[in-house]
Amino acid sequence: MTVQAHKVARLPWHERVGYRFAGQPLPWLLPVILILGFFYLYPVFDVFRFAATDVTLIGQDYEYTSRTIQQTITNNDLPFILWITLIFTAGSVIGQQLLGLIIAMVVIRAERRRLFGPTILRTTALVAWVVPGIAVGLIWQMLFSEAPFGGLNSLLRMFGISPVYWLSDPQMAMWSVIISNIWRGTAFSMVVMYAALKAIDPVLYEAAEVDGASGTQKFRFVTLPQLRAAILVNMILITIQTVNTFDAIIALTGGGPGRATEVISLYAFNIVFRNYDLAAGSVISVIMLMISLILSVIYALFLPKGDTT
Amino acid sequence: MTHKTRERILDVLTYLFMLVMFLFFAVPLLWLLSLSLRDITEVFLGVSRFIPENPTLENFRQVLTNSYFPMYLWNGLKLACLGAVGCLIVAAPAAYAFSRFEFRFKGAWLMALLAFQMISPLVIMVPLYRYMSALNLIDTHFAVVMVYIAVGVPLATWLLKGFIDGIPRSLDEAALIDGCNRFSVFWRIILPLSAPGIASAFIITVIAGWSQFLVPYLLLTRDDLMPIAAGIFNFAGTQNASTVQVLAAACLISVLPAIVVFLSLQRLILGSIMSGAVKG
Repeated sequence: MTVQAHKVARLPWHERVGYRFAGQPLPWLLPVILILGFFYLYPVFDVFRFAATDVTLIGQDYEYTSRTIQQTITNNDLPFILWITLIFTAGSVIGQQLLGLIIAMVVIRAERRRLFGPTILRTTALVAWVVPGIAVGLIWQMLFSEAPFGGLNSLLRMFGISPVYWLSDPQMAMWSVIISNIWRGTAFSMVVMYAALKAIDPVLYEAAEVDGASGTQKFRFVTLPQLRAAILVNMILITIQTVNTFDAIIALTGGGPGRATEVISLYAFNIVFRNYDLAAGSVISVIMLMISLILSVIYALFLPKGDTT
Repeated sequence: MTHKTRERILDVLTYLFMLVMFLFFAVPLLWLLSLSLRDITEVFLGVSRFIPENPTLENFRQVLTNSYFPMYLWNGLKLACLGAVGCLIVAAPAAYAFSRFEFRFKGAWLMALLAFQMISPLVIMVPLYRYMSALNLIDTHFAVVMVYIAVGVPLATWLLKGFIDGIPRSLDEAALIDGCNRFSVFWRIILPLSAPGIASAFIITVIAGWSQFLVPYLLLTRDDLMPIAAGIFNFAGTQNASTVQVLAAACLISVLPAIVVFLSLQRLILGSIMSGAVKG
């Protein structure tokens, strides 16, 4: 019995517990493990399990069968839904990335030249970013509306241009949804790109200057190569966000007109909560999980190595 | 063309681009404001009445005296705050451990935590709805708050870890030498010192909770329990073309708290997102 141990033994119970357990990570991590295990891991596990059954949302009994997977995968809707999701995601991600990069570059230039307005522009873009998804859908519905109060068409009318069927024409509706999503999400890319541009060593630009590079050449040979990793990571992050988009679309078009804007998250929602087909909805959820998982693995590969502290 | 003239031309182009972008981001919200201040006759005049001739607050009065709308606001605030408090209680100890301890697979654990962010709440809601029905927890705020906590924990842990990393380890060591155990170090030193980080993580989680739609929409059926995002979605379903100005007012009321909180704490929020989430 050392002096130290003797001292510990006489301490009140909570101090003893503190000495005994506080030096290990597990007690500290336990709450997170329990919460995520119960509300995330277990449901995800069950999604996989339900995909192999014929369970419905309301009934209690179900049996294991591979029929659901077969029927859902071979369903004629699925390729169409995936195509819609791809267009929506590609349009949003490319739009947000490009616009975010251009805004960040222009803002940095304006700051360097001490022009008026870069802060206002940044703040306005960020305000759009914090608007709740449902409200985004409702706001853009008021802008795209083909009624007299529809902002965009009434603007066109003022210039004598014939109205555009923003939400009632199936092909146009997809573009409308993409525009509203670019409005909402660009700020995130702008912030990431701004930070990445600021992190580029100014010496590189000075060297390019000495070599007599033009502005375009500086962008091509200095800025773009330096930003490559940031652009890739940013695009993966916003792709995952976009694939999982739900609120803004259900409030703007509800998946319509017809099924022109029914992306995969709306499809899963409709199958489970409109048709009560929990098993088929689980199969679709597994597909959504797979998409996110593949993207996450790519993302993890590109994160800076060794720096996990 | 001299260097100076070229810079001037570029300045003009910069201004033009900034103006166009400002309009793109600002006009949707200004349109909402414009519609919400009009009476029915001016609503149908479209853009020509962008600044209403007879602005009225009638729509706001109507929304705020509507039987359910104040309830939606209150439920939204209550659920977002409870969710954020729960989130921090769970996330803070974990953030401390990730910041101060060395253990096996730490990097993998942190990565796994980030992976949860990639899972759409819709995917987990599919089976969760079934459990909650089985446990008779449909139509309870308790169930909603628990799911909010789970959804918010990964980001909150990362944010707090980034903040605790910035507190010098020598403070922990000094306290340990003075006979504190790890729990009291955490309680007496780390928590008070990370107050700004905790505050910004709290605000970010509250704003995210305020926007939550799917979780409450599925777990709650009673209108008087709905938080704002789900409530306004139901509210929109009951409106028609002749009441668009009322819906605009309702929408504005629902986005305003998020915008005001964000603007007043913009620096804090952006700082913590940049240091915690983006740098990884």
